[in-house]
Amino acid sequence: MTTTDHRRASADDPRVLLDEQAGIFEPVPPYPPRTEREAEFYSLGDGELLINIGPHHPATHGVMRVVMKLNGEQIVDLDPVLGYLHRGVEKLCENADLHQTIAYLDPLEYVSSLFCEWPAVMAYEKLLDVEVPRRAEYIRVLTGELNRVSSHLLAMGFHALDLGGLTPILYSFIERDEIVEMLASITGQRMLFNYFRIGGVNGDLNHEFMSRLGDWMSRATEQVEANVGLLNENEIFVRRNRGIGVMDPETAIAMCWTGPNLRASGIPFDIRRAHPYSVYPELDFDIPTRQEGDSLARYLLRIDEVKQSLRIIDQCLHQMPDGPVMAKLPRLLRPRPGRAFAAVEGPRGEYAIYAVSDGTDQPFRFRIHDPSFLHLQSFGRLVPGKLIADWMTVNASLDPIMGGVDK
Amino acid sequence: MDRAIRQRLEERFGEVLAGPVRQRHDETEIRIAPGDVPDVLRALHDEPTFDFRLLADLAGVDTGDSMQVVYHLWSATSPDWLRVIAVGLDRDSPRVPTIVPLWPGAEWLEREAYDMFGIVFEGNRDLRRIFMPPDYQSFPLRKDFYLPDDAARSPGAGVRPMEATHAPRNAPAGSIRRGGT
Repeated sequence: MTTTDHRRASADDPRVLLDEQAGIFEPVPPYPPRTEREAEFYSLGDGELLINIGPHHPATHGVMRVVMKLNGEQIVDLDPVLGYLHRGVEKLCENADLHQTIAYLDPLEYVSSLFCEWPAVMAYEKLLDVEVPRRAEYIRVLTGELNRVSSHLLAMGFHALDLGGLTPILYSFIERDEIVEMLASITGQRMLFNYFRIGGVNGDLNHEFMSRLGDWMSRATEQVEANVGLLNENEIFVRRNRGIGVMDPETAIAMCWTGPNLRASGIPFDIRRAHPYSVYPELDFDIPTRQEGDSLARYLLRIDEVKQSLRIIDQCLHQMPDGPVMAKLPRLLRPRPGRAFAAVEGPRGEYAIYAVSDGTDQPFRFRIHDPSFLHLQSFGRLVPGKLIADWMTVNASLDPIMGGVDK
Repeated sequence: MDRAIRQRLEERFGEVLAGPVRQRHDETEIRIAPGDVPDVLRALHDEPTFDFRLLADLAGVDTGDSMQVVYHLWSATSPDWLRVIAVGLDRDSPRVPTIVPLWPGAEWLEREAYDMFGIVFEGNRDLRRIFMPPDYQSFPLRKDFYLPDDAARSPGAGVRPMEATHAPRNAPAGSIRRGGT
């Protein structure tokens, strides 16, 4: 079978699978370098070697490809190659009406979907000058913080998994499963919730959610403590993380870091306090920071954040007002021409939407800002001089989600 | 709305601004010419009265008539997001100076804007495509790039095959969506 036959054969023709080589990725691209930096990266010095990792590698947290330049076992430089999950969500949103875009946003950061929806509905509410009912704001904060806990617990489990520890992920899935089941009882979905609406949320809290939440809250703190005890007191885990991938605060800001990764470098920047939105000004919580800036600090900071989130959930339950959960809005929304920017503090950092309206029912420009994209960019600064195994540590501690990176 | 930042911006950048400072909700917006981007952002970043240290977002925009690059900044000196829009980039050859010397993290954001809009950031030493394959020719977020099933606005008002997603050269005026000034 020749190459031209391949092109004609349909994808489910078994001969294609038999004759075609399994995807082998050459580290060196088959075209001349396009930029100065690419030319520099792909020219090898004495004793240097290029290897390809991914795009399907269990440690890449999705479908990412990394080309590494090695000297012996030491990483000299690396070049992440993105786009394997690119779906053109921005373009799709510009061709969908305002309500439809919210559903497109869920699969971006599939472990913290509510935080992808949140800035979009906030931006639309600004464009439309809509006041959101207070109960809806409290429900958003409550469900959002639950989502943050589940996302952080998953990050902790996968961090250990990347370093070869199989057990912690099983324990963190116990808690995460309880949370997603809880959220499923009000949203109808376990992962891609599609719950926030322009002007409120899709449904009020119900009995199943409240009873599950009450049960879980009574043991959540203890459970989280027990789970992290598996790792915090594990000498191998601690020693593989301490001092690896150190980021200093100045560089972290210059590299546009946000979220737990920035706070682990000692900068107390949290959009919930720095640029308050929703009902966060009424809630009492701390912004944990750590000074070390290494992988261990980033891991420990997530645990501190889980505890703060539990505090916020507790306060939400006590302060939850009665009332409607949706503002009164027409079905077809046509915002006046204008621009709006909204950002929220998600489990990985700043999720932001810049929406431009031209007066139709579709956004004219819909820009999605994702924090993982910017964290991933700093790899080249964090790992040179370290080993490949350390790259996995750093990747796990930065906790990127490729669905959001590639959009 | 933060009235103080408006006054400070008008005093500091009076001549440079292309149009009035606009404010709505928690956002302050200024417009500048693309050539002024490095100076204005350097001043906003360095001067202690502004101290906009955090680049919250960098986005390209195609208005249908021209291109824009939109920077969102955060500072502890103002409760507002500051939006700096570099307006009036030529649609056939959009160029703007890079801000990588100020924020090294903007490198990938600029790569993304290049990949999606073809905006060339002069001085960015790694300006190659980031999401689309290297042999890809189009800039998908431009307004003359149609989705194959975007029948409503296509000149033929029918389903366009995947191979012809662009507006034809002789497309009637109005077939390209314009707006978002």
